[in-house]
Amino acid sequence: MPEYENSSVLNQVLLHPNSVVGADLTAWLATWGGQGLRSALAAPESIIDRVREAQLRGLGGSGFPTHIKWQAVANEAEGDKYLIGNGNEDEPGTFKDRMLLELSPHQVIEGALIAALATGINHVIFYINPHLQRAMTAMQQAVAQWLESSLYPEVCRVVGRTVELQVMPSSGYYVGGEETAAIASVEGSFPFPRGKPPFPAQSGVHGKPTLINNIETLANLSHLLRNGVAWFHSLGRGGNSGTKVYSLSGDVLNPGVYELPMGITLNELIFSYGGGMLVGKKLKAVFTGGPSNTILTKNDLDVSLDFDSVRQRHSSLGTGAMIVVSEGTGIVKRVAEYVRFFADASCGQCPPCKSGTYYLSMLLDKIDTGHGRRVDLDAITNLCEMLPGSGRCHLIDGAVKVVDSSLYHFKSEYEQALRQPRARVV
Amino acid sequence: MVKKMVSAKINGHAVTAPDSMNIIQAYWHAGFPRISGVGCLEGVCGSCRVMVRRVDSGKVTAELACQTMIEEGMQVQFLSFQTPKQHTYRLADFKNSWDVQSQFFDIFPEVSHCRHCGGCDVVCPKDIDVENGVGLAAMGRFREAGELFVECVMCNLCKSGCPEQIAPNQVGLFARRVTAYFHIRPSNLINRLEAIRRGEFRITR
Amino acid sequence: MAGIPYTEALSRYQIAAPRPLRDSSLAVADLLEQFHPDYLKNSTVELKVGANKGDRCHRDLARILQSDSRIDDLALAGVEVLETDVLVIGGGGAGCTAAITAAEQGVEVMLATKLKLGDSNTVMAEGGIQASIEPSDTPQMHYDDTLRAGHHLSDKALVELLAMSGPEVVRWLIQQGMQFEVNKYGDLLTRKPGGASAPRVVYYRDYTGLEMMRVLRESVRNCKVVVREFSPVVDLLSDESGHCAGAVLSNLSMDAYTVVRARQVILASGGIGRLHLNQFPTSNHFGATGDGLVLAYRLGAKLRDLDSFQYHPTGMAYPCHMMGSLITEGVRSAGVQILNALGERFVEELNPRDHVAAAIIRECAEGRGVLTEKGVGVWLDTPTLERQQPGIFERRFPKLVQRGKQGSVDPRQIPMLIYPTLHYQNGGVVIDVNGQSTVPGLYCVGEVSGGIHGRNRLMGNALLELVVFGRRAALHAAANLRRSGYHRVSLEHLSNMRRELMRLGEDMTYKGPQLFPDYANFDNDPDYRDLNYRIILGELGARIRKLVST
Repeated sequence: MPEYENSSVLNQVLLHPNSVVGADLTAWLATWGGQGLRSALAAPESIIDRVREAQLRGLGGSGFPTHIKWQAVANEAEGDKYLIGNGNEDEPGTFKDRMLLELSPHQVIEGALIAALATGINHVIFYINPHLQRAMTAMQQAVAQWLESSLYPEVCRVVGRTVELQVMPSSGYYVGGEETAAIASVEGSFPFPRGKPPFPAQSGVHGKPTLINNIETLANLSHLLRNGVAWFHSLGRGGNSGTKVYSLSGDVLNPGVYELPMGITLNELIFSYGGGMLVGKKLKAVFTGGPSNTILTKNDLDVSLDFDSVRQRHSSLGTGAMIVVSEGTGIVKRVAEYVRFFADASCGQCPPCKSGTYYLSMLLDKIDTGHGRRVDLDAITNLCEMLPGSGRCHLIDGAVKVVDSSLYHFKSEYEQALRQPRARVV
Repeated sequence: MVKKMVSAKINGHAVTAPDSMNIIQAYWHAGFPRISGVGCLEGVCGSCRVMVRRVDSGKVTAELACQTMIEEGMQVQFLSFQTPKQHTYRLADFKNSWDVQSQFFDIFPEVSHCRHCGGCDVVCPKDIDVENGVGLAAMGRFREAGELFVECVMCNLCKSGCPEQIAPNQVGLFARRVTAYFHIRPSNLINRLEAIRRGEFRITR
Repeated sequence: MAGIPYTEALSRYQIAAPRPLRDSSLAVADLLEQFHPDYLKNSTVELKVGANKGDRCHRDLARILQSDSRIDDLALAGVEVLETDVLVIGGGGAGCTAAITAAEQGVEVMLATKLKLGDSNTVMAEGGIQASIEPSDTPQMHYDDTLRAGHHLSDKALVELLAMSGPEVVRWLIQQGMQFEVNKYGDLLTRKPGGASAPRVVYYRDYTGLEMMRVLRESVRNCKVVVREFSPVVDLLSDESGHCAGAVLSNLSMDAYTVVRARQVILASGGIGRLHLNQFPTSNHFGATGDGLVLAYRLGAKLRDLDSFQYHPTGMAYPCHMMGSLITEGVRSAGVQILNALGERFVEELNPRDHVAAAIIRECAEGRGVLTEKGVGVWLDTPTLERQQPGIFERRFPKLVQRGKQGSVDPRQIPMLIYPTLHYQNGGVVIDVNGQSTVPGLYCVGEVSGGIHGRNRLMGNALLELVVFGRRAALHAAANLRRSGYHRVSLEHLSNMRRELMRLGEDMTYKGPQLFPDYANFDNDPDYRDLNYRIILGELGARIRKLVST
């Protein structure tokens, strides 16, 4: 039986003291490090099966089954293949990857090496937001240490080629976190997303098969292979596997990063771990994962925070970011802020996205500042109907979702903010 | 000629109108008031910007309402935003045509940030080669750049759609204006002005 | 109406060499009297009140001139109040020119416009600007042509200024950054307008107005002018001595009124096309509803030629959704022929506009027109012109080609169907050489003013006029700011008109100015509730009914 059977469910794996050793390979190898990688080296052909059985899913927001991506890249003919470890994290309220990279870079690198073994990848690129200075430094140190380690040549030998490890600053643009945009950025151009297909697994960096995994996804692998599939399943709740690193922020007593079983309820996250609402105010809404998703409200406190359950509430777990707002917060103002963020972040290629977010943001500001009229509100509603699906990537969809759901839950707040006709004296 | 009626949605309102009408006419036809975002009704004032989504199309396009015929299942939203902030300059401040290029970058510093996303080309309702025009202006080829903007109606769609806040339409206009200001010197006009100044022409009533 | 259906007429049409002109059998004066819309029976009435009491005026125009104001003092309680030296009303060519010029003089300038800055008839002008610059031409010929075309009814002092200022205006525009067509040596190209004795119109493709408006708008944005867009004026203000002292703006974006006190007011509010006089389609801009005439008239300004309007001969008649939209006279200058449904040429194309328009109306009235779903028209033989001068359309009339494409009528292959379209208000507010109306403190420039064109305007004189008098008015206004400020600025002058109307037992339910064409439904738009007398009256009525019933 693993030793943490009886410990709290908080920070069991990725943020466990044994993982949180910083850029110190010796310390990492002295605790949990290396075990998963050795297991992978012993049976590289079975890695993908184990990932599949563990039901590991992409933790960067999509929840897409990891093994499918891996298998697709593995199926491609031998040759140059790329892995992009996606640490472009830039959206409001998300700060988990930076913590993982700063506190425990080695588990991320080990995970990447396992992915290389499973798929025959020979270029590993850690694509990290340049604004995350400490994460960047930690990764650079950690990679240098790996290159000197005795395990590294082993990996190259099994893969059959030198596996390049590289830390690369991402563009720093939010849109650069999108898969195809990340590819463009790695290739040295502006991170413009492009349409799919072709999928990166077939044609990614320089036209080569490319695997793109979030930092948190990669971080899980060494532990998964070290302790096995059954253990991984046992971490989750309600039929879910593994843990999730939640970024909790907003009007709670203890904001921060919490690694908790996948499937913990929103109520638990906020009240047991987050210490409850600030100044005892009531919960009004939660902007989840991005904040490019449907808003959750107090009626959703019982939702289990896993990909499928949150989806059933027509929202999405996303990156696991939970921005909690209490009563007393202006929803219109908040939404306006986020849409402004999206408008600034939109890359420009697709006019409906750029002009659409620009126009939405302008209308929201107008309403928020008390100058809005009925016609402006109607325009917002209409745009929410027209715009989804009109961009190459999903930026516009995310922006619309947050607006649309805020309208659904808080219509009256918008209406009250509208400019009232003058009272007339006769 | 048989009139075919079509149903569409404009500003969120269901509208039924003959397909021989443009978007504005259709909206009026259906009895809805509309004054803002209506201008010359001939496609040259740039006021009636709309976003249009056609049935079964994932694409949303920006167009001029007076120039776009109503279609079955069309979804339309008027975009009546205030003119975005302008870059200001005065032609009279250019003392010398040799300095125009350097001053151009003082006035439009964003131009060098163009990320070549091509959004301005896509959004332009007049199919102007906008990005190319901005590029030419950045190279100091103002006459050439200006030629591309002949049909520009200053609808500001390219400006609102530029991620680097370049004002391509204003760049185009700048290129045209400096060309006229420094290079149009017609001898027939100058001769006539001189003759008038000398008092050679008087009107007899 | 009799005629030949479109498809049948089109199948009969053939590209052909120059055709002989059919004999008119009617003298010009008779042609005009019988067929020009100005002479339609019952289309004019006598004005009952105001400075032009007793004058003939078009019925629809009389209705708005003698309408009651949309506001009273109460509407101005608690509204935003602004002050400026010069207030320019109108954001078209004349307004922008005046604003730029006044700002150059260092005075405070505010420009209020109904729609977006530059949305105006100017932006739609295609033909060009008259300036006598060719060696074969003189200002005197320009003067003579203008007077003759206007049936010798113009104000000669104004026309003299107009003709003498042409070259200077073109120079001013070039220095604002406006481009013109030039030959390979850099000389300005000219074309000959209908009714002129020499080539005199300088132009830029068929985008002269667009090019001019773009440049003027940019100039305004680049000088110290406060611009208020979406702010139609509902009434002017007067002070105790009857001077014009500002205006009341309806701020559409805020759904509220704004009071602007000004030492001088320059009214440049344009024409009347959107009143659709005699049910004619119009080539005019959406905002051309004759507001300026109403504002000036209420303040006591004298108007003139209120029964004379220009119907431009070449308005589009097909496809129907483009009805009324203009085909530039430049096409006629280039030598195009006009044919009836039988393929006959029936009028000298380069005659003055009123003459050509009347001739077209006559053909249609006498059954030689081409019938469409909604109307009637005659052919503008563009394919023959393209055959004679290959490439001319693409080179010189790109806007026409583009518009043709939109209506699936390529003018290079299919003749355009045309019918006269309401184009210009020949008359307007009486002004002097400095653009001053008969009311102190009120200047009127551009289409809203009258006297320059008599009863018929020549192509290219409108763009010229608005710069000449826009600049003159601004210079004069800036140089003659009244030192004494604003004393008892009010809407008092409205009472005079109201008294007169009431004594005559006139129906005062109609409120003016119109601001927008009826079909835009402004007066029922809840978005503009606070600017809207009908909605407010409706609400008041409901309240009163409720009181009565309880």
